[in-house]
Amino acid sequence: MAEAETLSHSGICVHDLKEAEDFYCGVLGARLQGAVNFFTEDTLNGRSVHQAYALGDFLFAVALAPDFMPMPPDEQLKGAMGIRHAFTVEKAAFNQVIAGLKGKGVPFEGPVDHPEAGPFGQSVYFKDPSGNFLEIVWRRDEDVVYAAPPDLDVG
Amino acid sequence: MASVDGFSHLVVHVTDLNRSEAFYRDIIGLDVIGRDLVTDDGPNSLLALNTRQRLVLVEVPEVTAIRPNSSTIHHAWLLTIDEFQRTRERMKKAGYDVDDSRAQFRAMGENSMDIFDPDGHRYQIQAYAPEATQVITEDIGPIACGHVDDFAVGSVKTFVKGKFCLVRLPDGFLALSRWCTHLNGLLSWKQEHWEFYCPMHGARFDRRGIARPKGRPCPPLRLHPVSIDDAGVVTVDPGTAITRSDFDPSQLTVPAATTREAETAQAGKGA
Ligand code: FES
Repeated sequence: MAEAETLSHSGICVHDLKEAEDFYCGVLGARLQGAVNFFTEDTLNGRSVHQAYALGDFLFAVALAPDFMPMPPDEQLKGAMGIRHAFTVEKAAFNQVIAGLKGKGVPFEGPVDHPEAGPFGQSVYFKDPSGNFLEIVWRRDEDVVYAAPPDLDVG
Repeated sequence: MASVDGFSHLVVHVTDLNRSEAFYRDIIGLDVIGRDLVTDDGPNSLLALNTRQRLVLVEVPEVTAIRPNSSTIHHAWLLTIDEFQRTRERMKKAGYDVDDSRAQFRAMGENSMDIFDPDGHRYQIQAYAPEATQVITEDIGPIACGHVDDFAVGSVKTFVKGKFCLVRLPDGFLALSRWCTHLNGLLSWKQEHWEFYCPMHGARFDRRGIARPKGRPCPPLRLHPVSIDDAGVVTVDPGTAITRSDFDPSQLTVPAATTREAETAQAGKGA
């Protein structure tokens, strides 16, 4: 047994919150979970202004970058700015997801095959409008029942 | 397009696979599954959490762990409270600082520590103790809040003692507990936005105590019993909290017609 249940959230930065919301909610199907620290006193307290997008068991806390972040080259679709987030879909929905990316005009790379000995099947790679790298993967272990992630939505 | 189902894995670039694998195994406490089980940009190690989520460490020559101007970047491991205590001990033993740098922003029962991996990737380690979700009441006896007519329709008055807000809706009074139904953050009333706001994770509620449809999905705020005596004095008992699944007009305490307003009207008629 490991000593950690999930990665519950990541804080990432973007250049434009509206553009990010359209991307994460419109393309990946995230749910806008809240706008945090849109109040002056919180901002004065040193908290970042951010929105939270829920993607299944994961939350992106998306903050405005205080200044321009270095961007990966336009043509680079697969990579990591130190890190990359990968989300899963069922194998049966994978092609539909690829069609969805095409339909929304999101350039991507792949599908790329993973070794058969590992848990991953195939991945496609792309990035959000602010250059954060993302991946969608179907998994060979999709029928394995793992421990359920703790539910933090409702106290 | 179909929505994604959930999180699969985090890919983390590292400069020394052996060193990082040891850090995530021995300090964070993940299970190592094996090497090079993933197609990626370099030699890699796959590690497991207890759910289906995975971590993939990929060795590359150079790593920028924190992208410039990406100041808030971090990733949060969610642990059970027992795992948290054990991780805290492991970190202490290994010489890591286990203080919470943002203690003032934590809801009750929310435990958190920060840690950087050998390449400078920043993590939060978090766990929720039972206090995070317990229903909080203050046994300080009933509080006399004022006369019915002192509360304009639509007004919200915050009471520090008892930690509740008295709301006057068109049809009556509601006393809302200020403890957030997400994880016991303390709400404040934002007059300029006509809503309650939780500074912990941004939950927002309207004056009926119902979570805003576009915000964090939380159950309605808890209620305290409200009574109004013959003289029109409104009293709230913060020692009792009533949970509910929705708003219903029967939750309102309706003032009798014997208010000062009615009396004045009556007096006016007589004159
Ligand atoms: S405690 Fe999380 S939003 Fe209130």
